[in-house]
Amino acid sequence: MLRKIGVLWAVLAALGLAGCGHDTPTATVASSNARGTLVANPAFRVASVNATALTAQLNAQPVGQQLLQLAGTPACGVDVYYLKYWTVAPDNSAQLASAALMVPTGSAAPCTGPRPIVLYAHGTASTSSYNIADITNTSNEANSESLIIATVFAAQGDIVVAPNYLGYDISTLGYHPYLDASANAADMMDALTAARTALLSTFTPTTSDSSQLYVTGYSEGGYVAMATVKAMQAAGETVTASAPSSGPYALEAFGDAIFFGQVNLGSTEFAPLVRTSYQHAYGNLHTQSSNVFSATYASGIDTLLPNVVPIGTLFQQGKLPQTALFDSTVPTSPLGASADALLAVPTSPPYTASQVALFSLGFGNPYLIQNGYRVDYADDALLNPDQAEMTILNGGLAALNSSDVALATSWTTGLRTDLALNDMRAGGWFPKEPMLLCGGDQDPTVFYQNTLIMDAWWSPYVQGGLVSNLDLNATPSGPFAPLQAGFQQTYAGLVSSQGAAAIASYHTTEAPFCMVAARGFFAQVP
Amino acid sequence: MQKKLVTLAVSAAFALAASGARAGNAGPNDFRLGMYFVHFATEASDISGPFTPSGLGIHVDNIETLYFAYVRTLSTHFQVELAFGYPPLTKTEGRGPAMLGSVPYSGQRISTVRWFSPSMLLEYEFGDANSRLRPYVGVGVNYTRFFARQSTAAGNAASGGPTSISLPASVGPVATAGLSYEINDRVHVYASYSIAQVNSKLTADTAGILRTSEVHFWPNALVISAGYSF
Repeated sequence: MLRKIGVLWAVLAALGLAGCGHDTPTATVASSNARGTLVANPAFRVASVNATALTAQLNAQPVGQQLLQLAGTPACGVDVYYLKYWTVAPDNSAQLASAALMVPTGSAAPCTGPRPIVLYAHGTASTSSYNIADITNTSNEANSESLIIATVFAAQGDIVVAPNYLGYDISTLGYHPYLDASANAADMMDALTAARTALLSTFTPTTSDSSQLYVTGYSEGGYVAMATVKAMQAAGETVTASAPSSGPYALEAFGDAIFFGQVNLGSTEFAPLVRTSYQHAYGNLHTQSSNVFSATYASGIDTLLPNVVPIGTLFQQGKLPQTALFDSTVPTSPLGASADALLAVPTSPPYTASQVALFSLGFGNPYLIQNGYRVDYADDALLNPDQAEMTILNGGLAALNSSDVALATSWTTGLRTDLALNDMRAGGWFPKEPMLLCGGDQDPTVFYQNTLIMDAWWSPYVQGGLVSNLDLNATPSGPFAPLQAGFQQTYAGLVSSQGAAAIASYHTTEAPFCMVAARGFFAQVP
Repeated sequence: MQKKLVTLAVSAAFALAASGARAGNAGPNDFRLGMYFVHFATEASDISGPFTPSGLGIHVDNIETLYFAYVRTLSTHFQVELAFGYPPLTKTEGRGPAMLGSVPYSGQRISTVRWFSPSMLLEYEFGDANSRLRPYVGVGVNYTRFFARQSTAAGNAASGGPTSISLPASVGPVATAGLSYEINDRVHVYASYSIAQVNSKLTADTAGILRTSEVHFWPNALVISAGYSF
């Protein structure tokens, strides 16, 4: 009996073995955490849409229709991949980060074979879940930016690499290295390295890297893009062309302008991001947040941004003031009247009525920045002036030149020291390949003076045609005239429907126009 | 734990079988061979996880496979059946939106898996030992282990890349009802209907992106077989 049962099991086992097969594997997981290492290879494809379907999806929404009109009908489909890669934090610790890789698809000539890579840097994000690869999720803060770069670049045949940055999505760093040039550039370069690895194992392996590399970005991303060009040049890596847009490149001068009362829209969001970033990177800001921020907001502000909830919710919860960066009861300076004048709420003249209306929003009660901290900064800026800001204060914005836009040479406050260190004028560099600086001269969020200061700083290269700028608000002329006219028409429409409140949309309205300008600029670079 | 349960069930069944007897000249042992015609009344929660649109479901195709069993008669009315099927290749199709972006989904064969799915049943036969036609009912335990779990090319395309599939083994109740017909002392033919509870949690891993679905397969099978008693 036992023998029979044994035979039975042997038969069953044989049948089981006969039916055996292998389980399919998933991606290979890298064991190294060296910079630029792709964690899972092949990368995960989030979405795949052909040109016809993408066009139909865009046509289904008014915003999409506008984007189609601006960017043109997609020539290619787009596959969007989600990459995880290793990069490095300001403290040199290995950090996991994530990015999007967008690959053009389809058999049309611009969609296959060797294609250029556009390395894209995104704008300031307040939610920690920001994921520019999550293109199908309309509730993700990154969604509109993701759709724009897919439509403008990938659907026209460019491979797009767009990191989410440390501090977002899967990053466990706990903060975002905001406007930290070396950290931002390292993140971008590592994402690019990982994406080039991922590109070899996509669903469309015939689409490959042509070795042409374009670097662009908008707002914070404009700054990050410029910092990346600087770092890649320093590392001996080739950037074919770049187009930083609406970025705070001249950080020291921009900071001085704000502390002198020219408060920009969004400053109450940017200030905690900057303070946390630089305190982590350099440790030279006040260790107590209450030394920087008013008692109303100081508690918990070090870890407030990025947050799981949108910035609007933080405003509603009273975690941040919506616009009041400074106390409406302005402080006085021990330096006397000249400093007090700079600390006052701006008036007209010298400012225009619209500037006064804008800057006045930055004053109120409750307010974000401690009066004492503001006075210390303003005094530093007055005693150790940023030449560009002083020239602008004296009415010289329209005629900046390279001799009057230099950084300060010494500083007494940690924040100004850090802003100067990360200012794009620092380091004695200039772009060696063509660069387009796009923006709008009425931008209330990132002042156009940033572009003009860099223009002036690099004026020999501007005159040589290596660096050019595009003011979307200027009288339309030249190759970008349709974009200038289009932006001005779009913004006029907003003003018509929203009145003065339209100014809040100015910065975001510029973005797709600058991206299309960047695409056009890249196309004409030999 | 699941292995222990099965081992225990098998041991108990053979202990009972030791005292068994069968009417007529035939012995208490019966080997059966036939066909399983399995219908899956699959109930699965929508696939959930990162980067996953709502409304993605799965459907398991019906299958046929070889049935074989060892049955030990315990008494005039009781018998124990240890039933197996040749591990069938079960095919899973996507259900939900026709397309995910531009990738076909609904109706696409997205994965295949083989099952090793023995059942142990205690059965009660009606009628007396000399009846040619005897209905019977039974209850027992099913153990199902899934292997050769493959995501197809269409599945990989829909999932976003090479995908590994996890389906933990299942232990659940099984019930059967059937008829036996005696051809002669040693040869019988059988027809039965069985249903088993087979639950598992499907986890698909695509480049570290994990998606899950709770799956209740509810396989119900028509079995046509012939048995030889000795």
